[in-house]
Amino acid sequence: MRTNLTLYIFLTALLFAACKREDDNVFKQSPDERINQVLNTYSTALTSAEYGWKGLVYPSAFSTVPFSFYFKFDTANRVKMYADWDSATLIDARESSYRLKALQQPCLLFDTYSYIHILCDPDASINNGYYGGGLLSDFEFILDGMSSNGDTIKLTGRQHASKAVLVKATSKEAQDYYDRKRNWDFLYSSRFLTYFKKLHTGKGDYDIYINESFKNIRIVNANVKFSAGYYLTPNGVAFDKAFTDAGETIYGFNNVVWSEDNQVMTLQVNGRAATITSDKKPYIVDSTAGTRWYNAAVNAANYYIAPYGIHVDGQNDYYNFSSIPGFAYLFFFPNYGQSGYEFTGLMENSYYGPALKRKISAAGITTFTYGGTFGDIPDHGTTPISNIVTKFTESTGFYMVQTSDYNTYDMVNVKDARSWISWQLY
Amino acid sequence: MKPLNAFFFFLLVITLAACSKENDDLSGVQDIPGLGGDTWVEDSLDKWLYDSLTVPYNIEVKYKWDQFEFDVTKTLVPPKEEVVIPAMQAITKVWIDNYIKYAGELFFKKYSPKFFILSGSASWNDNGTITLGTAEGGRKVVMYLLNEFRTKGMAGYQKSDTANVKQIFHVIEHEFGHILHQNIMYPSEFKKISVGLYTANWNNIYDSDAHQDGFVTAYAMSSENEDFVEMIATMLIEGKEGFDKIVNSVQDKTSDNGTTKAQAVAALRQKEAMVVNYYKSAYDVDFYALQKATRDSINALFY
Repeated sequence: MRTNLTLYIFLTALLFAACKREDDNVFKQSPDERINQVLNTYSTALTSAEYGWKGLVYPSAFSTVPFSFYFKFDTANRVKMYADWDSATLIDARESSYRLKALQQPCLLFDTYSYIHILCDPDASINNGYYGGGLLSDFEFILDGMSSNGDTIKLTGRQHASKAVLVKATSKEAQDYYDRKRNWDFLYSSRFLTYFKKLHTGKGDYDIYINESFKNIRIVNANVKFSAGYYLTPNGVAFDKAFTDAGETIYGFNNVVWSEDNQVMTLQVNGRAATITSDKKPYIVDSTAGTRWYNAAVNAANYYIAPYGIHVDGQNDYYNFSSIPGFAYLFFFPNYGQSGYEFTGLMENSYYGPALKRKISAAGITTFTYGGTFGDIPDHGTTPISNIVTKFTESTGFYMVQTSDYNTYDMVNVKDARSWISWQLY
Repeated sequence: MKPLNAFFFFLLVITLAACSKENDDLSGVQDIPGLGGDTWVEDSLDKWLYDSLTVPYNIEVKYKWDQFEFDVTKTLVPPKEEVVIPAMQAITKVWIDNYIKYAGELFFKKYSPKFFILSGSASWNDNGTITLGTAEGGRKVVMYLLNEFRTKGMAGYQKSDTANVKQIFHVIEHEFGHILHQNIMYPSEFKKISVGLYTANWNNIYDSDAHQDGFVTAYAMSSENEDFVEMIATMLIEGKEGFDKIVNSVQDKTSDNGTTKAQAVAALRQKEAMVVNYYKSAYDVDFYALQKATRDSINALFY
């Protein structure tokens, strides 16, 4: 009985002690009030931007590749959109709906189909992505933070965790969209007859590498190594990171004009005239690229393919391999069957080609010597094969240029840099 | 000791009772975001849907994206706004108008599914196939690939588009069939026609093989109920001619399950007759008239 009494006394004491009449909340307001406040803040920010927002979306399938958009949100859940997806989406505004919604987080939903959904469409024929996944992009985004001055909003996709960023547009940027301007001359950079391109800004001279498939730009010289995603704007091209060198910061090129005859691209950098020209030798040779290229295939026990054959004097597939019935690609299989020779051949209904031996110099120049053939060469294959042998065994050899993080390399001849092969690991 | 004990006990009860904080009012409930459903500024499309489907039939059409209406593991996109009205108009013509004409407005309002969800893309399955329609609980019907919904007279229409659109109609008729038999059960003799041939393995069976066993589609092999509503949907969408074509396509051979051609044809015809009788006896509907009208509406959309 004694224990029982003690127990009651303690329990009563405990209850009195526990019966404090105040809530000690971490926040002054309720969760609902706070989430409404956040939604209101974002809603006001989105709709009050007089000149709309520039947006970049990085789909999860290609997380370094920016896709550019322009958004103008109104207060009636409508949004007007432009995109750099193709020529039509850059000049025809499309209107659709959006809303802000509290899901597990405050979210921005583009809730009827528009340009931003092209990246998400599970039908791969629309966006060259995966069937059932598209480019693994999103149209439901978590509002992931706003810069203190309110001109940048970070977004994260809810389903595929794609990244996006909205930046307030200036009146000129908005006007360029509304004026239906379209400057895609930058894409003509692939028409330079000589491989290596050089950027001259007036303050610095650089090698510049442009990868159209991955929307990547690299600017390199002895002092600086810069790599960024690029996207087309109504006026030219912009980088998704700022390039800084020689005391200036460059965000992109304006008024890009390509001259086929002069083989020069004129443009403006920070309002100053600049050019991109071509040359047969880069300022900086990537002396280990040849080794990386070779080893990547050997280590993966795999081979490289070049579906577009050999590019010579501005012409893809100069030797017309694609006219061979059943032609699929030119391939390079290092140390084929442990033979010590590189099988460099054509894949069509059968496969055949020369056995080459590859060497790399200390300066990073790759050369090949002829050592026989693999496979049975059919009659229609003799001319293509002799062309391959002649090209590969040029005594001056080849530069290797890594064109993306995904084992893609360009092999450029040293003699005049007017022949190259774009390899991708199969 | 006893009274003291009781005293403490009562003290405890009083303390507990007294400890109310009077916080149980409902103020603040209006702050809960999204309570009562999503809201947005309504436009002419919302008004059209409300006037054309919600007011007359109490049917809600959700075209704005809401992930939770779908399988959350699937990558889908919302529909284009410009396809919503043509699609719903076509559904009205093929499904609603014909049932109202041959079964009556009261019948339709009483039994129709009330909630349509639209997706712009198809739903891709792991095995590479696509799903064009699903339904839940006789109430909700999900329609996919609305962005490819094209009928005669729409830009980019090709004959091959008919397959997608017909499958959407098929899903609706199928689900509506379920609602009908859930309200008035079909005669149990129906279950005896193909007894022993129902299988959970139906998704590995071609439609043509299903025909050989006396089923109108492979999905009809999944259960008696599905068999019944697949009969309804196929007969309505394909029309009498189309159904006869299916029956006539049965090859002169014995199926893997030992069904002869004669047995397969007899089963299909017997099921047809039971569906027709069911419509008449349960709902007083002339099935063949409904079938002809439905098929005519589809022909008018496509051909």
